[in-house]
Amino acid sequence: SMDPMFMALSCFRRRKFEESTELCSKILEKNPYDQVIGYQINNVIPHPPQAAWALKARSLTEQVYIDEVEAEEQGIAESVMDDSSVAQISRPGTSLRVATGSSGPSPAVRPVSQSGRPLSGFVRPGTQAGRPGTMEQALKTPRTSHTARPVTSASGRYVRMGTASMLSNPDGPFINVSRLNYSKYAARPHLAKVLFEYIFHHENDVRNALELAAQATEQAKYKDWWWKVQLGKCYHRLGMYRDAERQYKSALKQQVMVDTLLLLGKVYQRIDQPLQAIDTYKVGLERFPDDRSLLVATARVHDEMGEMDTATKWYKDVLEEEGVNVEAVASIAANYFYTDQPEISIRLYRRLLQMGIHNVELFNNLGLCCFYAQQYDMTMVCFDRAISLAEDEQLADVWYNISHVALGVGDNNLAYQCLRLAITSNINHTEAYNNLAVLELRRGDVERAKSLLRSAAELAPHAYEHHFNLATLAESAGDLQNYSSILQSVAAFPQHMDSKNILQKLKQHFESL
Amino acid sequence: MLVPIFTLKIKHKIHPRMVTVGKYDGLHPCLTCGTTASKVFVHNPHSPAIAGGRVAVQDSDISMLTMNQSVSALCAGQLDPSNDRDVLCIGTQTNLLAYDVHDNKDLFYKEVPDGVNNIVMGKISSVDVPLVIAGGNCTLQGFDHEGEDRFWTVTGDIVSSLALVDFTNDGHNELLVGSEDFDIRVFQGDDIISEMTETEAVTGLYSISGSRFGYALANGTIGVYDRSARYWRIKSKNQVMAIHSFDLDGDGVPELITGWSNGKIDVRSNSTGEVMFKDNMTSAVAGIVDADYRLDGKNQLICCSVDGEVRGYQTDKSRLLAVDANRSNDNMRDLNLTKQNLLLELRNYEREQGPMKKEQFTPMERVEGGVIPASTTIATELVIEEKENPCIELVVSTNNNDTVVRMVVIYAEALYEGESHVTHPPANTLSNKIRVPIFPPKDSAIELHIQAFVSLPGSMNFHVFEVTNHLPSFSAYLYQQSVPQIPESCVSFTLNERVPRVGIWMTENFILRHEIPCEESIDAHFIALRGGDLVFKMDSSGQVQIHTDNIDLAGDLIQSLASFLRLDHLQVTAHFPLHLDKLNSIMSTVNGLQSVTQKLAAEMTDHSNLIRSLVIRAEDARLQGDISNMKKGYIEVQDLNRDLVNGYKVRSANHQELVTSMKLVNQIIQKASHLRVGKYKAQLVTQCRDAIKTNKHSALFKIIQSGSA
Repeated sequence: SMDPMFMALSCFRRRKFEESTELCSKILEKNPYDQVIGYQINNVIPHPPQAAWALKARSLTEQVYIDEVEAEEQGIAESVMDDSSVAQISRPGTSLRVATGSSGPSPAVRPVSQSGRPLSGFVRPGTQAGRPGTMEQALKTPRTSHTARPVTSASGRYVRMGTASMLSNPDGPFINVSRLNYSKYAARPHLAKVLFEYIFHHENDVRNALELAAQATEQAKYKDWWWKVQLGKCYHRLGMYRDAERQYKSALKQQVMVDTLLLLGKVYQRIDQPLQAIDTYKVGLERFPDDRSLLVATARVHDEMGEMDTATKWYKDVLEEEGVNVEAVASIAANYFYTDQPEISIRLYRRLLQMGIHNVELFNNLGLCCFYAQQYDMTMVCFDRAISLAEDEQLADVWYNISHVALGVGDNNLAYQCLRLAITSNINHTEAYNNLAVLELRRGDVERAKSLLRSAAELAPHAYEHHFNLATLAESAGDLQNYSSILQSVAAFPQHMDSKNILQKLKQHFESL
Repeated sequence: MLVPIFTLKIKHKIHPRMVTVGKYDGLHPCLTCGTTASKVFVHNPHSPAIAGGRVAVQDSDISMLTMNQSVSALCAGQLDPSNDRDVLCIGTQTNLLAYDVHDNKDLFYKEVPDGVNNIVMGKISSVDVPLVIAGGNCTLQGFDHEGEDRFWTVTGDIVSSLALVDFTNDGHNELLVGSEDFDIRVFQGDDIISEMTETEAVTGLYSISGSRFGYALANGTIGVYDRSARYWRIKSKNQVMAIHSFDLDGDGVPELITGWSNGKIDVRSNSTGEVMFKDNMTSAVAGIVDADYRLDGKNQLICCSVDGEVRGYQTDKSRLLAVDANRSNDNMRDLNLTKQNLLLELRNYEREQGPMKKEQFTPMERVEGGVIPASTTIATELVIEEKENPCIELVVSTNNNDTVVRMVVIYAEALYEGESHVTHPPANTLSNKIRVPIFPPKDSAIELHIQAFVSLPGSMNFHVFEVTNHLPSFSAYLYQQSVPQIPESCVSFTLNERVPRVGIWMTENFILRHEIPCEESIDAHFIALRGGDLVFKMDSSGQVQIHTDNIDLAGDLIQSLASFLRLDHLQVTAHFPLHLDKLNSIMSTVNGLQSVTQKLAAEMTDHSNLIRSLVIRAEDARLQGDISNMKKGYIEVQDLNRDLVNGYKVRSANHQELVTSMKLVNQIIQKASHLRVGKYKAQLVTQCRDAIKTNKHSALFKIIQSGSA
């Protein structure tokens, strides 16, 4: 039959990692090489086991591999107890902490996420992350099941994403990391790199990976940029951003790589210096003109700073290079939708459909676009599709959007029922609570409206609508206790004129007392 | 009295010496100060950009910067030549951050293992772009706006002050470095072109105009130098917190402004040191800067106190009149005083002369009148006393036996603590001679100003004689026929000079009782008062060997000899086995320490990440009212925190050791460079730096021995 080693390699190349792993295990069973390598290094070892060992490690790594550049989530601990950024209050447009850039539509038109950041057209790790003011706020806001954030990214999340270290292996772990003699491995670069990736990605043991990388880079006389990037990754994961920055920069001096630039940019975003991140990407773009990942990264930073117009410009640049980039298409489409050009959004969303994307969110958006573009025949068809595809949590959004259509055609009863359905599917749907409250008010049930608004305000202190509604309601009833609501409304949306008017009135009133 | 044109109350403490002002947006000056909890605040009352968006806060003209490490120095200035915005440089004990406040981004964040005690920004002659120069433990490091290391040199001790002054009046700035070994060194590029020794650690340096600069010492002395000549100095019992120069009276000549620890601000004329104006703040002065803070096109002098009080003063020509009026009054008073004194003196002379004509004094009357023989003169002499405790003695004697020397007062800088020394022997041991022992603490030439009080025995009136004597640089070495053992360490070099010229140098710089034979060759042996032996040999071919275990002494001798013989460059071979052994052991500890540091740092971050997540979990439990879980969480936090504190202690001890070791290495390099003259000196420093950077220890030893790689 075929040589098992060749077979394993072939499987590996065809990305059949599990089969490859099994084949390697068989080779290793016959000719064990496992932990002994540390001690046998000077002896003559037959070639195959060493290769099989390395291949097995690689196969295992590949199974759980996640691109470091994309995997980023800021936990509550990092965002609340952030001590790596220099400026606590920075000039608008220079910080990621709050979406201070004021280009693009206001919250009255484009709703905001929990962080007070405009809803993005594309959900990716990190877009949900706001930088809340106090720990209590941070802990209270994301209490719903759909918005929960990890406590800290240094421990929990990565284990969840790279689940390998949680899986139990019947024969014990493939490599016992705690028993390795790193200095011996470090001397053999071809094994050390494989081993590093295994420890870093598969075992998720950053501290040991760091030790190996530190020794290997020393062995390489600090001349191997790859090890420097790995060191940077380790420091990044550990939260030592300044050290990571130093390693990445040193690596870039030896060899400019897109990957390194992207990682360096992420470090700058983490220490809240978005402009520095953009500068880094720009330097990269000079070296690698029109590199797609650099363009996307730049667009994302602008997006996160709330500079929608600039972000859209960058996303367009991405599309010039790569017409099928889903993130860019979706982001641009969302921006057009919120800037009153639903016709263009329809075209972009249709393009996504052509590309084979077939999910609830897309049909949902298409439905809304069709409605606002007055293509009523398609509206309900799209929502039908969305409902048939949707699971519970997505269903709420679909019903909520249908309620908008109903309101638009003046069918208050349908709207009422849709909103009820939305709340049934997701009892934390704050927007639905708010709208339902308004409808209740129209029916004359003030008490119910008030209680709905209160629950909305409790669930989502970041949006302004329900605070404002609550305040107006109280004012019409002559209740001066609405001061706190109006303050919250102004805090969530400082430019909101109506809120400001009420606040002014109240202040005059209190002063005259 | 000085009247401020504006006062501000900033609700933050200001750390002393951490005040700077920068135009971070290129237009509006912002006062920037270090404050408590390792933070820096920027006071920005002008720029409207700070308000708007979500950022606007109640206290909108103050924004805080967090450093996470205690801030040790602050400076704002232009760094990027292509950009007219100022950059804020923040130094800590391990890092230097150059930060663009306007755009919230770093220019660079550099590790500076020697610490940053002082920062100055500007151009120096050897580099064509502006640099930020950080002074640490014995090292000076200059970075350009990209964070490239463009300048590096060593100095004798911990750098305590820095300034850029056009010392040579050639239009380019020289770097002045004040250090804790009491020296002010002037660097032109990598070369030390001048060195002034003061009496205490130099805590402040500030350029006044041209080659003139002000200085401040840790003992409360301030003064003004023009090049290496001192114009004036005064001493106060208070601590100097800040010095600055600013033209307050509008006469075109800047004054020296001093802020004191008791809150006093005084303005002194830079040429005489006389106080022109003063004001008092309620607490110690933290820093003094000048900037166009009212945006009216003219700079104001801005003084900050540690309690956050800020006062601004304006240049005002009307002050000039007040000063003139004051000055004429003062002059009048001075003249009156002189007149009084002269009259008194004249009366004395008359009284003395009068009776002489009539009759001789009785001895009794002479004693009472304090009249001493008119021919009395005083002689001072430095002799070496070779008892079991050899020392130098200053012998002050009169030329006759009738008179006694009642008391001797010696003023000498750096010789005595407090700069003066009074000797008055008990009345029963009085003679016409007083011997004052002298122990020079350093090898430097000292001017002795001696006041001898002379009278007849028993008289209560004294004649005061003022004389000066010169203590040569190497007075603390006693000439011997031979020393028992010639020290092993030595330096050797070749001079193109005749032997007798070197002989002249020796007579000028040592206290020699006899001429030493110096026709063909010199072979002089000395024992040092402070311990150790010295052997100086020169043969007819110009080959010189100096044997001593004291590397500083060898350096001082070479520098003194080189300046006497006007040598521009001199390469020296040095053989100091003791120092090299020490260096070797230090270098190996440094290597060990560095590898441990990294591991410890990773461990600590890991721990602190864990603590964070535990705190969040505990808080979570608290918000849900789950008190028992919260308690559990916090107990865990406490345990982990204890571990963390212990880890910190280890790390901090480790770091301290590393810093000390690095300091010793730098000191050895500095001492080795001190053995060379001119271009070889600079060459040695750069080569040592390269050797350390590339971790080539053997090269380092070779450079120190032979002077080049």
